[in-house]
Amino acid sequence: MSALTQSRKRMKIWRYWPLYLMMLPGLAYMVLNNYLPMFGLSIAFKDIDYRKGIWASDWIGFRNFEFLFKTEDAFIITRNTLLYNGAFIVLGLGIAVVIAILLNEIRNKFAARLYQSLIILPFLISIILVSYLVYAMLSIDTGFVNKTLLPMLGIDSISWYSEPKYWPYILTFIHLWKGAGYSCIVFLAAIIGIDPEYYEAARLDGASKWMQIRTITLPMITPVITMLALLGVGRIFYSDFGLFYQVPMNSGALYETTNVIDTYVFRGLLQLGDVGMSSAAGFYQSIVGFILVLGANAIVRKFNKENALF
Amino acid sequence: MDKENRAWQWASHTIMIALSLLCVLPFILLFMASITDEKAIVSEGYSFFPTQFSFQAYKYLWMQADQILRAYGITVIVTVIGTACSLFITSLLAYPLSRKDMPGGQAIAFIVFFTMLFNGGLVPTYMVYTQLLDVKNTLFALIVPWLLMNGFNVLLMRTFFKTTIPVAVLESASIDGAGEFKTYFRIVMPLSLPILATVGMFQGLAYWNDWNNGLVFVTKPHLFSLQNMLNRIMSDIQFLSANSNGSVSESLSQMPSETFRMAIAVIGVVPILAAYPFFQKYFVKGMTIGAVKG
Amino acid sequence: MKKVRFTALVMLLACSMALAACGSSNGGTKNGGQASNAPESKIEELTVAFPMVSSAQQDIQLVEDAVNKITEQKIQARVKFMPISAGEWQQQTNLLFTSNEKLDLMFVNGSLYSGMVAKGQLIPIDELISKYGGGITKALGDYLQVARLKDGIYAVPTIRDLATSYGITFRKDLADKYSIDVSKLNTMEDIEHAFKTIKDGEGGDFTPLIPSGVGATYLENYLTYDRLGDGIGILPDYDNGLKIVNLYETDTYKEQLKRIRDWYLKGYIMKDSATNKLSTFELLRGGKGFAYFAALKPGFEEQESQASGVQVVTKELLSPIATTSTVTGAMWGIPVNTKLEGKAMEFLNLMYEDKDIINLFDWGIEGKHYVKVPGEDNVIDYPEGVTAQTTGYNMPLGWLFGNQFLSYVMKGKDADIWNKMDAFNKNAAHSKALGFSFDAAPVKTEYAAVTNVITQYKLALETGSVDPDKVLPDFINKLKSAGIDKIIQEKQKQLDAWVQAGGSK
Repeated sequence: MSALTQSRKRMKIWRYWPLYLMMLPGLAYMVLNNYLPMFGLSIAFKDIDYRKGIWASDWIGFRNFEFLFKTEDAFIITRNTLLYNGAFIVLGLGIAVVIAILLNEIRNKFAARLYQSLIILPFLISIILVSYLVYAMLSIDTGFVNKTLLPMLGIDSISWYSEPKYWPYILTFIHLWKGAGYSCIVFLAAIIGIDPEYYEAARLDGASKWMQIRTITLPMITPVITMLALLGVGRIFYSDFGLFYQVPMNSGALYETTNVIDTYVFRGLLQLGDVGMSSAAGFYQSIVGFILVLGANAIVRKFNKENALF
Repeated sequence: MDKENRAWQWASHTIMIALSLLCVLPFILLFMASITDEKAIVSEGYSFFPTQFSFQAYKYLWMQADQILRAYGITVIVTVIGTACSLFITSLLAYPLSRKDMPGGQAIAFIVFFTMLFNGGLVPTYMVYTQLLDVKNTLFALIVPWLLMNGFNVLLMRTFFKTTIPVAVLESASIDGAGEFKTYFRIVMPLSLPILATVGMFQGLAYWNDWNNGLVFVTKPHLFSLQNMLNRIMSDIQFLSANSNGSVSESLSQMPSETFRMAIAVIGVVPILAAYPFFQKYFVKGMTIGAVKG
Repeated sequence: MKKVRFTALVMLLACSMALAACGSSNGGTKNGGQASNAPESKIEELTVAFPMVSSAQQDIQLVEDAVNKITEQKIQARVKFMPISAGEWQQQTNLLFTSNEKLDLMFVNGSLYSGMVAKGQLIPIDELISKYGGGITKALGDYLQVARLKDGIYAVPTIRDLATSYGITFRKDLADKYSIDVSKLNTMEDIEHAFKTIKDGEGGDFTPLIPSGVGATYLENYLTYDRLGDGIGILPDYDNGLKIVNLYETDTYKEQLKRIRDWYLKGYIMKDSATNKLSTFELLRGGKGFAYFAALKPGFEEQESQASGVQVVTKELLSPIATTSTVTGAMWGIPVNTKLEGKAMEFLNLMYEDKDIINLFDWGIEGKHYVKVPGEDNVIDYPEGVTAQTTGYNMPLGWLFGNQFLSYVMKGKDADIWNKMDAFNKNAAHSKALGFSFDAAPVKTEYAAVTNVITQYKLALETGSVDPDKVLPDFINKLKSAGIDKIIQEKQKQLDAWVQAGGSK
């Protein structure tokens, strides 16, 4: 009996061999590019001595991790990282969905295309250039805001780079500005992929635009939204280094609201150049993201199995 | 009904115009900065209406035209080849994963997803590519590591296949005796143009804008891509300015000035701006075909 | 369950592949010392890594070939250049080490020196120097010993300005306009007075004092103490009986901060100092500022005037002093990756005594990248129709390639500069801790935390952007809780041990 099911199972797998063959190049690449290097995570637990070589260096347990937790900054950097990324996930997705829906509504094809090309522009420039542009806006002496905008409104100039309280808004804004055009394309592709017959039927039933969006568009793109949200959760302990380092110009006065795990690690190890400690930081970020995403995925699964990632 | 529609059109256009302006203005500023006189930048800051113009930065660039054209060439080759290969292997992996009937699909999806959370980091990846495969200072180094395929795009495609390709179509193909490969090329691909265009665009941009691979794996100047050149100049300036002492100031004085950096940025972006409409044409077309047939 | 098992299987597979890969690549880790004594006739190839700036180096291959012509004949070796972008130097070299790539000789940045040795990245070279390094010892003299660590010498300083004096640089046109006699400005009060004159005269937004570089503070180019490398625990007056103190708690530091803050409030200091992204030269060219603090050396005035295109004059405030950092700032060492350490040292020795090699590195190929000025021995110029911008080889890093004193001088600069520099080095006073290098490895955790705190506060405080009365106490408290005392303690311990072992001799 059991031999029978087993052979049937084998038969079943055999039937799918072309599919497995299709996946082969991709999986091979992942093994090479992603899984093989993961053994480097062991570096996080080692005291690297190049005379011995990496693999023969001494194991030192969690000593490389200590610098992440030992200071009073540990709380600040963790808090900042989580809050920023949380805001980025929620607002980023929300705004991208809204833009995608609006773009899809626009009937004038030329205009739609033009808007689409324009809002992706910020994605095309490097974060270093973004930091220059932000500086052009916010510089104390020569910035556009202090020199032109604030005087017009009759407000005194503000020394932006030493006032931490503005930066949560500035950084969130820049992040959205830079990324929204890009991520809305994903949603646009999903929306365009929706079968028009659904809308046809809805219109015949007299559903308003708003109703159509709520009952057709949004549910149809929920899998994509969930996927992006879950991926965001998985990377919640990482942050866009350029955004938090280059854009605030590494200004010490702003650390309270701009210091995140990545920048902390970078600054702390600039002089030491310790591979073990930087691997430890990466390991910590990955583990936390992994646990969170497993949890989030489990919750999603509970509500709707189809939407879960795995 | 019509009235409602018009209201929607108005609202959409207004919002999109505002957003577009927000995105375009900084670019105009960037361009203006590149043609502003160096002294004016220092004394007046960046401005949409600079008082003194100068094309010095572009003249300087022109003097190094052969080097820049070469870098352009590298970037174009890498982008075209990389995007094509990437689309191929990504879709080949994503399609089987979208098939609910295939055994082991869930586990493989998890394997794909796992790569997005954990990575070995720079050092081990570097070791794999330099010691296992000797890619240093080759074009492969600019195409293969990190960029060729990422889990995000695989999952994105899988979700698309899953939600838009009706199982019935696949089943009928199978009954007609079409093999998996035939089904994939003849049926799945034509139905999936929107997602192929989207992922293709993501990949193309990633290749065009990438400087990390060049930085890590390429030391030979004849293999520098455009972003590489730009980035190296920037990082060198940062390095020298931060280490200013008697010795390096001489080196610093020979580095390009602010306006020059802006000019390089401009020539880095312009080709994308020029190419994007064509690209987008296919993108939109792909989407429309997908919509009609889907 | 099945899912888990499958994943595990794949992981296992990947695992075994990785181990196999590592095993095979790990064979040659040990530095096989004997390889270099191969038969003389065989031509070995050395890989030499050094930082480069500006990517316009299309003729670098030609220079490499020219160097090889000399080395094949003189030391039976070929040299393969590995230029690395200066901004990425640290990351790139770390990669080279971790993957144990072929590398036989490399530039060593002084601030990373002791760390590199602690991590085992460099090999001791005392014996090699005495065997092959005659030119090095002759050219460097006593300064070679500054690079000595506990177990030996691991790198050789390049020959350039090995000491530094601190002073202030002024724009000549403004000094003349307000008839300020720069040579009479000796104290901070004098300087402040000059600033006031300028400020009153130019008025409005004009700020006389500008930073000496991006991210530079106003105190770091006016040092009355030995920073002992990193400024975490310093030696006041370059002596203090070798008792290390916490700079940030000293009264001198507090007073300096107060003065800077006062200047800031009076409008003597550029407001954007802490976030400025323009180089000093760009600022000067743009007509901003009147003065900046600077680390001086012979020929500095001329160099700055040419670099910025604005005539400047300098005034020395603190006389020349040599510390470990000023000497070890730029060095060359032999990495642990090498199997050809003998040949590497022979080549390094050429970089200290062979005029042709040095000038190939510094200026490129004669007739193509430079020509000798007729009638002059040591002075060169660009060939017709070639400028610094259009030349195929532009390596403005003369201080980096071995013995700069053998380098030609570009036309327009002081032809006698190297003699002056030599005298400057010889006459400089010595810090009491000259020759001591701190190894932060035993206190890594604290070091990372303290470094963060310093970057958070230092720049803002030392540019006057914040009120020291309020912020300095915070700064000190945070340093303490990050563990600065433990670092200072460790530093003192190492310094004491260094004295015990003979100190600066």
